[in-house]
Amino acid sequence: MKLHEKILTHYLSCTSPVDKEGYLFKKKERNATYQRRWFVLKANLLFYQDRPADRHLLGVIVLEGCAVRRSESEGQLAFSLVFEGPGLKTYRFAAGDGQTQESWVKALLSASHCYLSLLVRDLGRQYEEAKLQQGSGASRHSSSLSALTQPTHFLPVQGRATVVREGRSYSACPVLQTQSTPPKVVAKKSPKLWPRRNAHVTPLNGPAPLYGEWPLVGFDPLEDFSKLHDYYGQEVKKAREEWLRSRRAEDECIDGHLIDLG
Amino acid sequence: MRFNEKELVSLSRQPSEMAAELGMRGPKKGDVVKKRLVKLVVNFLFYFRTDEEEPIGALLLEQCRVEREDSQSFSIAFLDEAERKYLFECDSEEQCGEWVDSIVKASYEFMRKNLIFYRTEIHRLTGKDPLEQYGISDETRFQVNNGLQLTPRDTSSL
Repeated sequence: MKLHEKILTHYLSCTSPVDKEGYLFKKKERNATYQRRWFVLKANLLFYQDRPADRHLLGVIVLEGCAVRRSESEGQLAFSLVFEGPGLKTYRFAAGDGQTQESWVKALLSASHCYLSLLVRDLGRQYEEAKLQQGSGASRHSSSLSALTQPTHFLPVQGRATVVREGRSYSACPVLQTQSTPPKVVAKKSPKLWPRRNAHVTPLNGPAPLYGEWPLVGFDPLEDFSKLHDYYGQEVKKAREEWLRSRRAEDECIDGHLIDLG
Repeated sequence: MRFNEKELVSLSRQPSEMAAELGMRGPKKGDVVKKRLVKLVVNFLFYFRTDEEEPIGALLLEQCRVEREDSQSFSIAFLDEAERKYLFECDSEEQCGEWVDSIVKASYEFMRKNLIFYRTEIHRLTGKDPLEQYGISDETRFQVNNGLQLTPRDTSSL
């Protein structure tokens, strides 16, 4: 089967941020030795190469239909990606230290498209409920947002667990416990841009931006919903305008869907 | 570049609501329309020769432009190469619309933006971060200002 690699490498190096990157040891299947590789996780794709600055990618692992397991039998810092099905592989890794191992396991657990799909569906439902509870704000809901609120159509891989209202379980992911942390303070400053990086050239060395920088669009819960939509829609508008400008002015039917926001 | 081919082929066999025989034409000059079984699974578009078990190929649906070409066909352009498009011919206007819609919404980046939107909105409406209960609030991939370019606003009233 042909995997159109250029599409993947183009996606990797485009401006949307990388989800995680760093050195891990990958176990060779044949002779059970570990080789240090630079891994870059983006969406449901795990790329690897020799070093951060390398332009040549050694490979990619598509993270669908796999479970993330800690491999106690192979050492405390080991973990694996187990693809479930006859004849399917298990990829084995080891981290340099416990913290690295934990953060990679966590990142990989939430990496699949399937997981994100269930999460979006769940949050979409919570959002609708929250709007109803707000009362009058919901009635001015902009219809152009319907594209955002519709759930995706797809079944989870292998038809496994759908989101249960109270159970909160996801396929291939452990049930996550409710945290008892205190509510985060809303930061009173404008949101920062995520620094743009080319994943091939500039490895991320610093920590991820901190949670807490919620975009400020006003505290009034009765604020016109369409203002909020406009605020978040700025980027979309800009992308659309640029794209429309570059199009030949013909009588083509341009569908009003969100396209290429990257 | 190596990739987990068997696992990807296995993925292509998963049930999908968007699977149909469409006319498909590649992006190169001289490519002609061929009948293919086209199947959308997660953010990949697989295409098979009819009645074959293994797909011919897989297209990652990220960073691509999906457009209606006419009433019954749509195109997908990758690599910012607007003129190099894959063309797909459907049986009806309705089917065509469904495909365009589904492909757009299948993109991981599209879903991520939705998630960030919902997260922000739920927090605004309820004061709570909906990801906290799942212990994933700090995951880089779900950060609120992740990749979004938000135009600066006058926040002096706050």
